[in-house]
Amino acid sequence: MSDRNVSLSSALKYKGQGPYLTFILHRIGGSMIAIFVTLHILGTFFEMIGWQIGDLITDIYISPPFQIVFMFGMLFHIINGMRITILDLFPTKLIPYHRQAIVIEWIIFILVYGFAVVTTITTTIARMS
Amino acid sequence: MEVTIKIFRYNPEKDQRGHYETYTVEASENDRVLDVLELVKGHKDGTLSFRRSCAHGVCGSDAMRINGRNMLACKTLIRDVGANITVEPIMGLKVAKDLIVDMNPFFDNYKKMLPYLINDNPLPADGKERLQSPEQRARFDESTKCILCAACTTSCPSFWASDEYYGPAALVTAHRFIFDSRDEGAEQRLHVLSETNGTARCHTAYNCTEACPRDIQITKAIGELKMAMVTGKID
Ligand code: SF4
Ligand code: FES
Repeated sequence: MSDRNVSLSSALKYKGQGPYLTFILHRIGGSMIAIFVTLHILGTFFEMIGWQIGDLITDIYISPPFQIVFMFGMLFHIINGMRITILDLFPTKLIPYHRQAIVIEWIIFILVYGFAVVTTITTTIARMS
Repeated sequence: MEVTIKIFRYNPEKDQRGHYETYTVEASENDRVLDVLELVKGHKDGTLSFRRSCAHGVCGSDAMRINGRNMLACKTLIRDVGANITVEPIMGLKVAKDLIVDMNPFFDNYKKMLPYLINDNPLPADGKERLQSPEQRARFDESTKCILCAACTTSCPSFWASDEYYGPAALVTAHRFIFDSRDEGAEQRLHVLSETNGTARCHTAYNCTEACPRDIQITKAIGELKMAMVTGKID
């Protein structure tokens, strides 16, 4: 057995309630941003030196399905990061209301992400027709 | 009612790795998980090992993962967790046997916070107490309630990643002394907290606050420590 009785799967299964979910999603969002930036740099670089694979990489990250998934991670990372920063700046006054802050965060996220998804889909449909 | 309890078992003398064993006992919905563990130990399998002492949420011995979440077995009623219970040791500390973990890394981190009053100034003229106003006492009241059960530290993802991180319980202890108007050791403690394994490793997952059986606002206390480090002010 693992020496310290902890593994990635046991960590993910821990029932930490709402705040822990935002903690996990924040990290997933951060990783998605890192993947997007890496693809962007690689795609542009390969295109510059004339390698075909550059076009393929660019096609992947500008495709609507990729954008919709990526925007979930990116927008969540930004909005959650703002919630954490605001609470951290006023720990005594605001941290006791962290649960309410998370509810507000989800409302803002759903509105912003919903708008982004609808815009992506309608733009794609308009471009195809 | 019939309660089915699935318990993590590990005997270092026999087992390569841990496994689960399931027991069924008769208990009341007003019994606590600790009572069910006692029933299993008393009537089904005397080799079952777990810590307990006060049985009233005071000593902090029996923190464990109950249905996937850190709780004190003596403060958790069956009616709140249901008749199908899974009990596992807390995470991030080596399992010594069954539900018992090696608490040494936890207490090593605790000791780094200099958990005692530091004040070399002479006593007041009357030679009696160093007085404190109710407001000054209230400033750190919450962090005095800690019973060192480790439910917070072992629910923290940063501690799971490394037990070098002092962990929420140690930071609550630092808070308890730093914000005590009678104490003069704030600078020393803030210096310890500014190290790599100090407050910088708190990424506000809030698992600690959710897990604390004493309802201590741990993330708030850590936030106040971070603020004191940034501003250099303790108020
Ligand atoms: S802060 Fe709460 S959870 Fe952490 S050790 Fe103290 S009592 Fe236990
Ligand atoms: S046995 Fe003492 S706190 Fe539970």
